[in-house]
This record gives sequence, structure tokens and C-alpha cells, in this order.
Amino acid sequence: MMPKSLLIILLCASSLALADPGSVTRATDLKDKPFLDAPTVTRLAAGSRVEVQTRKGAWAQVSTRDGKSGWLKILNLRSATGSSGSGLGGVNQLLSVAKTGSSGNTVTTGVKGLSAEQIKNARPNPQEVQRMKSYSASSEEAQRFARSNRLETRSVKDIGLASTESQSNRGSD
Amino acid sequence: MKKSLVTLALAAGLATPVFAIDLGKILDGSSGIDLNKVVKAVESAATSLQSTSPEQEEIIGKRVMADLLGAAPLVKNPELQRYVNQVGRWVALQSEKPNLPWRFGVTDDAHVNSFAAPGGYILITRGLYDRLKSEAELAAVLGHEITHVVRGHHIRAMKASARGDFLANVAQIAAEKRGREEAQYAANAFSGGTEIFVRGLDKDDEYEADVHGMVLAARAGYNPFALPSVLTTIGNINPKDNAVSLMFSTHPSPQDRLDRIEASVGDKLDRYANGIDNTATFARLHK
Repeated sequence: MMPKSLLIILLCASSLALADPGSVTRATDLKDKPFLDAPTVTRLAAGSRVEVQTRKGAWAQVSTRDGKSGWLKILNLRSATGSSGSGLGGVNQLLSVAKTGSSGNTVTTGVKGLSAEQIKNARPNPQEVQRMKSYSASSEEAQRFARSNRLETRSVKDIGLASTESQSNRGSD
Repeated sequence: MKKSLVTLALAAGLATPVFAIDLGKILDGSSGIDLNKVVKAVESAATSLQSTSPEQEEIIGKRVMADLLGAAPLVKNPELQRYVNQVGRWVALQSEKPNLPWRFGVTDDAHVNSFAAPGGYILITRGLYDRLKSEAELAAVLGHEITHVVRGHHIRAMKASARGDFLANVAQIAAEKRGREEAQYAANAFSGGTEIFVRGLDKDDEYEADVHGMVLAARAGYNPFALPSVLTTIGNINPKDNAVSLMFSTHPSPQDRLDRIEASVGDKLDRYANGIDNTATFARLHK
């Protein structure tokens, strides 16, 4: 086997690993550019699987299984295990184990709530609380930090929770 | 004095149906009103109705943190800890309680989770921090936890589960410390506080923390759509993976949370999507 082709395979594999699997909540237009008035590449059915390549503002650039690429709103995006419903759980589980590679071993050990037990049985460590305090940042320090990173405050109105009824019009479930 | 107590009791009774039943019992069958019982009833009603003082919240928060940090200590990386405090404090400055003594920390815990406690204590596990892709994602997660603190979600959950014993718990924690030099708590975890982290908060409180967490991130100049991004990352972890077992047992599914965000936020935050996603510091500190 030629080392060069191996290298190409490895490079492809690593770029695939960077993409996050996802699915779309509802029938959605895949846009050529991250704008509502951009041309439509294709129409995605509810539950379509995609690979998320990158995110920009409120938009995600995704590729579809038939090789199309375009942009959709992040709020229309779910994880891969998502809107395709619980029937695909097995498949998604396999995918997820494959993705996590060697750490996939820990997946089905069945040790549930280990951390819950750890918390319940914890021996309090007040010294560590003191240490936590020693790292705290004053308002002035936080403001300096924001200035040096060009973070500017914006006036944003609070948003109330939408009632439960209005949220449950998802396609396949 | 006693008359005004009765008036107060009646007023409280009208305001809270649960209490009205107690009051009914007191008034029922006896020739007159047993004032001792009324006083007791008023006291317990007052316990559940009155707001907790900042001092009480600090006492509870510190105690709960001692337990959480007993389960998993801070990551030994002062630069990382300071950085997370700078981001966290900056986001907290945009909240309704900018002047709490906010303290943030990354714990040496491979599980994917984050915690908040009354008084302004917030922890994020190494397991979650390592999976974050940007500073905006960090800000959004901290914004979620800051919302729990500012809106008193833990206090409410503790009061609900401790019934009338809430103030007794606070007094007990205070007594544990009294007379000992460096705060030496009892050897066991304070169950009244830690059970919240094992049982979880009200689902609506989680949804509210998601939506308001996005608002806080947007106010702080970050791209608020970093929060849905974190939730998709978490949603892609196998639910059977031990790393997410506690988070999944104490939170609505990432799917439901994203549904609720979509329904609540809609396009209201689109104009803030041009906020900052990443900084050089995040890239440098994030392996």
C-alpha cells in the first residue's frame, strides 16, 4: 500500500471526525448561503440526517447524505439521535460507539449514576471552596477582560418560555 | 400583636391553598382559636413564603460546594480557573444580580455536567469543558447556571423537598461551623443540599435557564447560538455512556431542550448572532 494514499485516507478520516452528526426538526430549505433570501439548494425532509461542518452566527453549514451542501438555521438542527425518533436508537447507538472509538468500551458497562453516588457520599472539602474563591474575578477584572477581547454589551430583552403546547408539532414523533 | 398574627395567618391562608387546609384544621371543631397553633402555622408559612437572605444563601451555597468539591476537586490549573472566572463574571455582570460574589471553577471530573449553588457558586466539569468548541459555548453554559442562581431555582427546590425543615437546615449548617476554626463540616454530605443535584430541578427551570442563558450570552457580546450547539454536542453522546448518566437523569433530554429553545427563542436573537464566538485565550487554554 502506498503511504501517500494512506495519508489521504487519514486526512479524510480526521476531517470527517470534526463534523458533528445531526438531523433536521422539520422540512427545511437548505440554503446556498447563510441568509433567508439566499437561493435554495434543496428541500430537506423532516428527520433528514446531516453532517454539521461549521457554524456561523444563527446558521450551520451542513452536508447531506447525497452529497449536497448548504446552510440551515441552527434552531432547526438536532443531534443525530433526534427527530428520527426512538426507533432508530439502535442504529444511532452503534454510530455513536463507532465515533467515540476506543472510549466506546465504557458505553455499556452499565455503571449508572456513579457520579450521583459520589456526590451523596462526598466528604466535604471546605479548603477547596477557599481555593475556588481565590480564583474569582472582580467586576473590574471582568470588564478589562471583556475590553481586551472586544466583547461589547448589548441590550437584549428577556425572552419568556413558550408554552408546552406550541412546541410539540414536530413531524415524525 | 396576637390579633395581627391571626390576620397574617388568614392572609397567608388565602394566598397559599396548602396552608389554607392547615388553617382549616386549626379552626375546625374547637370552641376558639388555639393561638399557639396559629403562631406555629404562621411560622412555617413564613418559612416557605419569605425570601432567603443573601447570608443564608451564602451559607447553603458554601456547604453544597464543599460537598461537590469533595466529590471532585478543582482541576489544578490556576490559569484555566482564572480564565473561567473572567468569562463567568463578565456574563454574570449582565444578570439581575451582578454584585453577588460570583465564583466559578472547573472540576477534575470526566462526567459531562455543570452545577450551581445559591450565593453565586458555579462549577463546570472537565468532561463538559473539554467538549466545548468556543468561548461563546462556555459563556452560554455559565449563563445557564447563572440563571439558576439569579432566579433562585435551587432554593425553591430545597424548600420544596425540605418542607418545613429548610430554616432548620440552614441553622444546622451554621452550627456545624460554629466554634471551629477553619470551617469543619460534619463528615457527611449535607443531604438537604446535595439531593437537588442527584434528583434535579424542575424541568421548566431548566428550560428557563437555557433561554435566559442565551439572553445573558447575547448581552455579554457572545453569539447566543452557542448554547444550542452545546446541546447538540451533548445530544450526540450515547445516553448509555456513563459520562452523561447524571446529567441525563437530572435534565430534560437535549432534544426536548432544543425544542423548547426553538419554540421560545424563534428568530428573536438572530440580530445578536454576530456576537463573538471565540477568543485567542480559549484556543490557547483549550487542549
